[in-house]
Amino acid sequence: MSLRLIMAIFVGKLAIVFSRLAGNQGTDFPGRLARRIYPPILTVLAGQVKKEIIMVTGTNGKTTTSNMIAGIFRENGSTCVHNRAGANMLTGITTAFIKATNLSGRCSFDYALLETDEANVPLLLQEVQANLLLVTNFFRDQLDRYGELDHTIQLIKQAAAGRSLELLLNADDPLQSDIAACTGCQSRYYGFEDTIYDELTSADSREGRYCVQCGQALLYERYHYAQLGQYHCPQCGNRNPCRDYTGQQLEMDPGIRLQVNDLPLQSSYQGFYNAYNILAAVSMGLRLGIDAEVIQRAVVNFQPRAGRLERFTIAGKPCLLVLVKNPTGLNQSLSMLLLDPTQKSLFFALNDNAADGRDISWIWDADVEIMTRSEARIQQIICSGQRSGDIALRCKYAGFDPDKLSIESRLQEGIALAVAQAEEAAYILCTYTALFECRQIMLKMQKQSDGTSPLVQPSPARQAQEGGVQ
Amino acid sequence: MQETFVIAHMYPDLMNLYGDRGNLLCLQQRIRGYGHRCEIRSLGLEDQLDFSELDMIFMGGGSDREQGLVYHDLLHKAETLRQEIDNGLPALCICGAYQLLGRYYQAPDGTMLQGLGFFDLYTEGRAPRLIGNILLESAVAGEKISVVGFENHGGRTYLHDPDLKPFGTVIKGHGNNGEDGGEGLWYKNLIGTYLHGPLLPKNPAIADYFIQTMAARRGLTLTGTLDDTIEHFAHQQVKNKILPK
Repeated sequence: MSLRLIMAIFVGKLAIVFSRLAGNQGTDFPGRLARRIYPPILTVLAGQVKKEIIMVTGTNGKTTTSNMIAGIFRENGSTCVHNRAGANMLTGITTAFIKATNLSGRCSFDYALLETDEANVPLLLQEVQANLLLVTNFFRDQLDRYGELDHTIQLIKQAAAGRSLELLLNADDPLQSDIAACTGCQSRYYGFEDTIYDELTSADSREGRYCVQCGQALLYERYHYAQLGQYHCPQCGNRNPCRDYTGQQLEMDPGIRLQVNDLPLQSSYQGFYNAYNILAAVSMGLRLGIDAEVIQRAVVNFQPRAGRLERFTIAGKPCLLVLVKNPTGLNQSLSMLLLDPTQKSLFFALNDNAADGRDISWIWDADVEIMTRSEARIQQIICSGQRSGDIALRCKYAGFDPDKLSIESRLQEGIALAVAQAEEAAYILCTYTALFECRQIMLKMQKQSDGTSPLVQPSPARQAQEGGVQ
Repeated sequence: MQETFVIAHMYPDLMNLYGDRGNLLCLQQRIRGYGHRCEIRSLGLEDQLDFSELDMIFMGGGSDREQGLVYHDLLHKAETLRQEIDNGLPALCICGAYQLLGRYYQAPDGTMLQGLGFFDLYTEGRAPRLIGNILLESAVAGEKISVVGFENHGGRTYLHDPDLKPFGTVIKGHGNNGEDGGEGLWYKNLIGTYLHGPLLPKNPAIADYFIQTMAARRGLTLTGTLDDTIEHFAHQQVKNKILPK
């Protein structure tokens, strides 16, 4: 055992403790430090994993899907190294291994479960002998650089080609249809058969509407959501690959029920995108040979984590925290509102820090018009965050009654207003850099209200009419 | 008397990056606010353009591949389109559509994409991309206004003909090329610009300029004012961000 390795682990562990004391998440810095001391640390530690090393990547749903797979491992009594809370770059993954390793450098786990940022997949493959790669979906995400998605997918294909890596791919995503052929990797597919929620037309994001093989516009028999659906190319005949794991009989009322290859499952998660996450996680469980009953029990126990539709009770009202970061995710969150029959107020905090995307024009690509439908039962919208004005304008031009729109750029005051005005429920939507603060605010409010006692009325929030809120 | 204004959305499937449809939503809602109707007509490749039925054209940005397709289609329509623009047809061309109006676009790898050559301007693609919030000063009907938006372009555009007027002067940001302080092009009632975000919702003065021009071309005068509280708030919020106090 190399002394430098021991030193890197020791310093890394120390850094984890100190960054926690300093109030940071402590996810990237310790890994970065340890990698500087002993660059091959990740390769060495990952080499100790007993069974499989699993990577989970894609635009949306990688955190939720990997948390679900971790839940299946837990239920199965298997141990795993798992980088949590979106720390999905090489440094964050290194930190996860340092946490899981004892001071003598031993790291004995059954599995490694590595949520990996798309752009980091090639880098990680260079350092870690992964056995399985699960891809959720490829959607338009960070709009700061266009052409990025094609480029990223290309790099992933190049990095995977020729490796003894098995792929678990989404059969409904046309952008994944040539990955197997381009890489030569053994590939299995998960996907949905027809559901009662399918649409025959889509006004959604344009990513993937063209055939990856010949560039012709694809024809869709049905859309599950966004570009995920049943498609074929009229020119070259490219179509959905055959499924190995099929999602059947999907029902959302609003909790999810479905079958995967005849295995019945239910979860308190909501929304079609979460049905995909469940399908992907269950497919991985089945692929690894985990007992069907274990998987079933694990799915029932899935609990949404920070911002992935986390539920709070404040002043007796259910309040749901939802992270939104791109048009597809926002469309899904808004479609979910249509399935919830309660009268609700909606809070939307839009920030434009680097991690949110500096360019907020994506809100205009989302179907915010859904908010104006009567089934959404939205009584008012409170617009917040650094770009509260932009989200208010988007709602106004979507046709939402401006009298029911208010601007409160400060998160605390905005959330208080949304909860106080909500007849039955409040939905708290926010972009990434507002998530942790919103969550803290809601935890505090939940504690103060003790779930039942009425909240102290918040001070009257400043409205747009008074202007100048910064 | 209620009129129906018809705005052509050129190549919505191909040229529609960065929330550009927000510009159309904005025009449509504001025209309704002024008591008229607005029809957005989507025109794709090989659709015929009948200018006698159109009050305005709008075209957004696209990737290089898509810009090539559009260029070949537009070539057939170029002569009448140029004539209409000279006659004062309101037009808003964003990003790639703006570049197409010039003589050529040279991609960073040296590939040349021909432009329509309506104006003596040209674009050269270079790294790094010019990205960020941008603030301009412009003028509508002789009145100075500020314009806010977001720019994200690798192309540097140069107005070669000294008689060409930019859409605005850059106060903060990059503009046409990051060198000469100009942004976009304003020719008669055509505006070409790199600003998206989208442009019109946060800059209602520009939206109204287009609407008033459309109305005037029909011999109408718009009456009434719209409540732009939220628009001004959003405009000011971005401005404060760009120019910290």
